[in-house]
Amino acid sequence: MSRVFSKPDFYSGVRGTLPAAAALIPFGLVCGVDAAAAGASPLAAVGLSAIVFSGAAQILATQLYAAGAPLAVIVLTCFVIGLRLAMYSAAMAPHLGTFPARWRYLSAFLLTDQAFAAAISRFEASADRNRALSHFLGGGIVLWGGWQLMTMAGYFLGNVIPASWSLEFAVPLCFIALLGPLLRERPAIAAAVAAAVAVVLLAGLPMRLNIVVAGIIGIAIGTLAELALERKTTTRERFR
Amino acid sequence: MTEGAIKLWAIIVSVGAANFLVRLSFIALLANKAMPPLLTRALRYVAVAMITALVLPMVLSTSAAPAVMAFWPNAKLLAALIALTVAFFTQSMGWTLVAGMGALWLLQAVATSF
Repeated sequence: MSRVFSKPDFYSGVRGTLPAAAALIPFGLVCGVDAAAAGASPLAAVGLSAIVFSGAAQILATQLYAAGAPLAVIVLTCFVIGLRLAMYSAAMAPHLGTFPARWRYLSAFLLTDQAFAAAISRFEASADRNRALSHFLGGGIVLWGGWQLMTMAGYFLGNVIPASWSLEFAVPLCFIALLGPLLRERPAIAAAVAAAVAVVLLAGLPMRLNIVVAGIIGIAIGTLAELALERKTTTRERFR
Repeated sequence: MTEGAIKLWAIIVSVGAANFLVRLSFIALLANKAMPPLLTRALRYVAVAMITALVLPMVLSTSAAPAVMAFWPNAKLLAALIALTVAFFTQSMGWTLVAGMGALWLLQAVATSF
């Protein structure tokens, strides 16, 4: 354990993730409010957010449960909503392959939109995987612990933030903060533009499939743009 | 336990298990395997493409119906573009949150005062 784990990086992951965790408060409150509205017991509300640990899936599960949907429908819907997590899993895989299984399982459990978005550029840039993993785990544990506190607060206190404050906007802002620095190179910009156009054009797809399909289209366009750019520079060098 | 409570726990356990397996999928499948170079390239665009696809509907959709998108007039879209510019130049989560929330509140105040 001591060989993998780096305390300073774990703590810097904790500190670095605190603003993102704070931005999630309105979202976490809504998840708790929904669990209470669906008639979940306190223990079930804790179980839901501790085990499922995904805001979108929790809201869907509680709302479908309250509407009396069959178990299979609820599980399938939440599975489709969670498919984007498979993309994160694939992007993390090359960086986690060398770690013992227990570290990979723990990382997989803590893999969320926020944790992935905050960690992936560090994994790509860092020569020391142990340090990047410790940083990721620090962030992941803050998000998991914070998430439990937020959903509990929502469950017991209700939505204490007035809707007129529009604080739910902090959730997209959190992703925008992580997206901005990624838009440095032309293939990355192409990937973002393609994903943006696709997610709007495909908005009619059921179960929010437009998000994961648009993501795949963006990835393909980004890769093609990189290959095209590379070919252009090599041809130019050949003729020089 | 009532029938409803049992069903809710069944949901928690099965959705939790499905969610975990999706998260684990490629981390487990691709562990210690050499990947084709094209795939390695493609995976570098997962973050930028997926975050864009995830965030845009949050900015465009009205809370009632996620499929209904509002481009204009949309204070959230404008505030999001301001925040993206700030994120690009500062690379700071804190400044992006401040700029985005500040822009949204300002735009909403302007919109309601007319």
